[in-house]
Amino acid sequence: MSIRGKLFRKSVSGVAVLGVAALALTACTTSGSTGTNTDTAATGGTVTVAVVNDFTSFNNQTPQSNLDTNGQVGYLMGNYGSAFSYIDKDFKIVHEDKFGTFEKTSDDPQTVTYTLNPDDKWSDGEPVTADDMVLSWATQAGYYNSSTTDPDSGDVVSGTQYFEIAASTAGLDTTAFPTVSDDNLSMTLVYGTPYVDWELVNPIGQPAHIVAKKAGLSSAADLTALMKSLPKGDPANPAAADPTLKAAADFVNTGYDVTAFPTDPDLLVSSGPMVPTGWTPGQSFTMERNKYYVGGMIPKIDKMILRVIPDANAQVTALQNGEVDIINPQASADTLTALENTGADVLTGDQVSYDHLDLRFDQPVFADIKVRQAFLKTIPRQQILDSIVTPVNPDAKVLNSQIWVPANEPYADSVANNGSKDYADVDIDGAKALLAGATPSVRILYNTNNPNRVDEFQAIQESAAKAGITVVDAGSPDWSSLLSGGDYDASLFGWISPGVGSAGISQIFSTDGGGNYNHYTGTNDDAIATQTTLDPDKLIALEKNMDKQMFADAYGLPLFQLPGVFGVSKRVSGVEYMGNQTGPFWNFWEWSVSK
Amino acid sequence: MVSFILRRILVSILILIAASFLMYVMVGYSADPLQDLTSSNSPNKQQLINARVSLLDLDVPPPLRWVLWLGGVAKCAVPFANACDLGSTVSKAQVVDILPNALAATVQLVTFALVLAILLGVTIGIITALRQYSGLDNTVTFVSFFLYSLPAFLVAVLLKEFIAIGFNDFLRDPVIGGLALVVIGLVIGAIWQSLLGGDAKRRLVVFLVSGLATSGVLLLMSATGWFMHPGLGAIPIILLVAAIALGSATLLAGLRNRRALITAGINAAIALVAYFTLQPLFDISSAGTLFILALATAAVGLVSGFLAGGYDRGQNMRVGLVTALLSGAVVLLDRFMQSWGDLLTATNGRPIATVGSKTPGLSGDVWLGGLDAFAHLTLPTIALLLISFAGYTRYSRAGMLEVLSLDYIRTARAKGLPERTVIVRHAFRNMLIPLTTLVAFDVGALLGGAIITEKVFAIPGMGSLFNAGLQRGDLNPVMGYFLIVAAMAITFNFLADMAYAGLDPRVRIR
Repeated sequence: MSIRGKLFRKSVSGVAVLGVAALALTACTTSGSTGTNTDTAATGGTVTVAVVNDFTSFNNQTPQSNLDTNGQVGYLMGNYGSAFSYIDKDFKIVHEDKFGTFEKTSDDPQTVTYTLNPDDKWSDGEPVTADDMVLSWATQAGYYNSSTTDPDSGDVVSGTQYFEIAASTAGLDTTAFPTVSDDNLSMTLVYGTPYVDWELVNPIGQPAHIVAKKAGLSSAADLTALMKSLPKGDPANPAAADPTLKAAADFVNTGYDVTAFPTDPDLLVSSGPMVPTGWTPGQSFTMERNKYYVGGMIPKIDKMILRVIPDANAQVTALQNGEVDIINPQASADTLTALENTGADVLTGDQVSYDHLDLRFDQPVFADIKVRQAFLKTIPRQQILDSIVTPVNPDAKVLNSQIWVPANEPYADSVANNGSKDYADVDIDGAKALLAGATPSVRILYNTNNPNRVDEFQAIQESAAKAGITVVDAGSPDWSSLLSGGDYDASLFGWISPGVGSAGISQIFSTDGGGNYNHYTGTNDDAIATQTTLDPDKLIALEKNMDKQMFADAYGLPLFQLPGVFGVSKRVSGVEYMGNQTGPFWNFWEWSVSK
Repeated sequence: MVSFILRRILVSILILIAASFLMYVMVGYSADPLQDLTSSNSPNKQQLINARVSLLDLDVPPPLRWVLWLGGVAKCAVPFANACDLGSTVSKAQVVDILPNALAATVQLVTFALVLAILLGVTIGIITALRQYSGLDNTVTFVSFFLYSLPAFLVAVLLKEFIAIGFNDFLRDPVIGGLALVVIGLVIGAIWQSLLGGDAKRRLVVFLVSGLATSGVLLLMSATGWFMHPGLGAIPIILLVAAIALGSATLLAGLRNRRALITAGINAAIALVAYFTLQPLFDISSAGTLFILALATAAVGLVSGFLAGGYDRGQNMRVGLVTALLSGAVVLLDRFMQSWGDLLTATNGRPIATVGSKTPGLSGDVWLGGLDAFAHLTLPTIALLLISFAGYTRYSRAGMLEVLSLDYIRTARAKGLPERTVIVRHAFRNMLIPLTTLVAFDVGALLGGAIITEKVFAIPGMGSLFNAGLQRGDLNPVMGYFLIVAAMAITFNFLADMAYAGLDPRVRIR
């Protein structure tokens, strides 16, 4: 045994001596960097933003590609939502007049005219014209669709489905084929019935000259002429499919979906401030300034990189390590603490999604308004807010309106009058008085996989018990499929308020609305009226009336807005908090980088 | 033999089909791909649901949908038809298009981790077995189990905090402070004295010499700005190459074998000549050039070993190969280090990354790209390494101890064979047999991706694909992942069985 040990020691010591000697000599000679044939990242002017999901499509308007990262890239490319107008952090629609102007010229019939700046060009140098607007209108209005789908399999059983879009065609579906001016720079839309959210219609999408080319046509004008010659789609009596328009629609529907950076430059053509220049799937998406863009959103930075980092903590360390400049992670108290320790600027605020408690009017237990009121009086909203939101956003307040979020102007006024202060504090005695000895049992449906909802449920259960109401756990991971037709009395879940526009109102608060799981009928007339009200003052009056009516009927209670947090590196300035899906990108043209 | 292989392949396919059915049905019933839509307040909710139902055939119950899916998979069996259909994701991307990306990212991530884990694990396992119950053995056992028991996400966070952020902060002003120098010296000294062992006086001398030398060298490095402009330089390369030649000859053949020494010497000389003459070629090299150079290096090593001749040509060729490859690696390392300055410029002076596998928009030669990949993959590789490393040290230590206690080892020693021959030739090979099973399992498992490691380091590999698919209720990518992982596990188990038969003459395949 001793022989083995000695040999081993000898050889190891030999290696050790050589190792140390080599280390020593290493230090004596420094061969400086010689390689120069490299193209390093652009100096200054680059901002890297962390995103959670990967990019999948250059057309973010189709049902399969309507995802946050696609939408953000679309925002930078000028598709849908950043050409004629954008939404600012106070959820106001700001007209972007340098790219083009639009105005409502008549209320009866509602007429809107869009006029382009003659200098507008696509990033391949082709001019932006009314042909592009007509194509975008056809896409968004679903004008030519004559399809009927099978409700079970979702397949088209008759007629033709041309353009598929994720957004609703409601509103634009009543417009006639638009009138185009002689200079081919303006388009006029005439609505069949008034449409409340006309200001959100943004008729710039895919470049018509590219779509025409892919459909085998020689120019954008040919595409417009073709569309003009085709009749409006009628599902009851479908006309034969037009193969050229179908080819154009198929290209718009799926041709922009990608799994690698396209070799076809036509897919990259952008009308907005930035053009895509590179994509490593799953890792990063690079965009550079569009030299042809003449609108008002010209960025100060040269280059923007979107880096895919799904994990919130990984986003924070990447920010700390200088790999990204702006992060928008899922907000939690831990993330916030970690973020504050990095020395970066931290912006907190409310997101547009909010949690709410709804009561079902078709269930016997809630047939009596006194039971509904009593139950709502026991909901510890402040306590729920303090345990879920306050650790992330100390300024957060309980949400007190079913219609607006505090960033909207009418919120304060509506809250003062809508009767929400009856439920400002937990009132166990008041609840007991209303119940008059009754001990109802309430089943609450919620998502058991969402820790926030579990916390909410437990807080409500505990508080309601004090008033003699038994809260039964009807939570399920499959909650979303149980919302309509499930066996429950009340539900806890979240809506995503759009922040602007009123199209969602009839969806939730009209009797037949697809989101009215509560079988609530009290606001039906007002909710339907909002959809065709063009006068902003009248609209707000209607909505205020609805807000008040819902508290009077003990419809349910809004609880809180989810908190959001941005982390911004000290080298980037101009970033401001925004709670909607556009996130930090909303004012990208104001960002600047300090050296 | 042939009938065994055919039988195994047939059975494997049947297992794969049955397992895919179970997986498909279980995920199909538990996942809800419509969840984000059913709770939406969009006015055209029903239309969106219809579109997705139509896209993914959601109206067909999972067991029947599995048949449809299997039909698409079966097309993969048609050679060169490129008709593979693994279904599409919720966002209409074909799974066959996204799988290769994910697989490539995972392979890039796990290859180094696996090779390093095996090399380090086996080496340390052998050393600790040879010095059983010494301070070194106990320390390594403690450390490896400690690391093994740390959860992957915690290791990842610690690595990011101390190695990435800490080291990058250090690079802003790369001067090692006095206290740090003392501590590093103490630690290194302690490690060396425990490795070398011996009596108290000897240990003290080793401790002092190695500790002081390390601190001194580090002091010199920080004083000369080595961290900003690293490089080896001519003299250290000559010394390192010489050490490699000497070391590989000693380990593989013994210093008394003159032919082996000659082979090692020739290869070392060729490596040094290459270092001085090939620099202009390196400047214009691509990955392909480097691959050809590596092949050439291996060929030179083997041929020189063969030509040096002697009674044991196989041994000489091994010495030649190891020397050539290792010295070649030193020459390459030096060239990579020369690109460090460019990487510092490209990353604003913060080269070690915490996410992804490359710097976005970085365009440069193979050296800068390689260095960038190194800077990105170091941390995840270490994180993965720590998990599998402990297993290898344990297995190889136990295997070595067991083999060393066998009669034939005693016989070999009794007939006067040098200890090196006993360990490297007689014990080491037999010790490797049980390890093949472990390696085969590990390759299969690692290709499945490391879900946590990939998530924390934002690497879009197989693990992320699976995780994202499962969270979105997206069945097809999950099944694509499953196919690859299951096929790999079955294949590598099969290969392990074959390797067993090859390594151990007692095992026969019939």
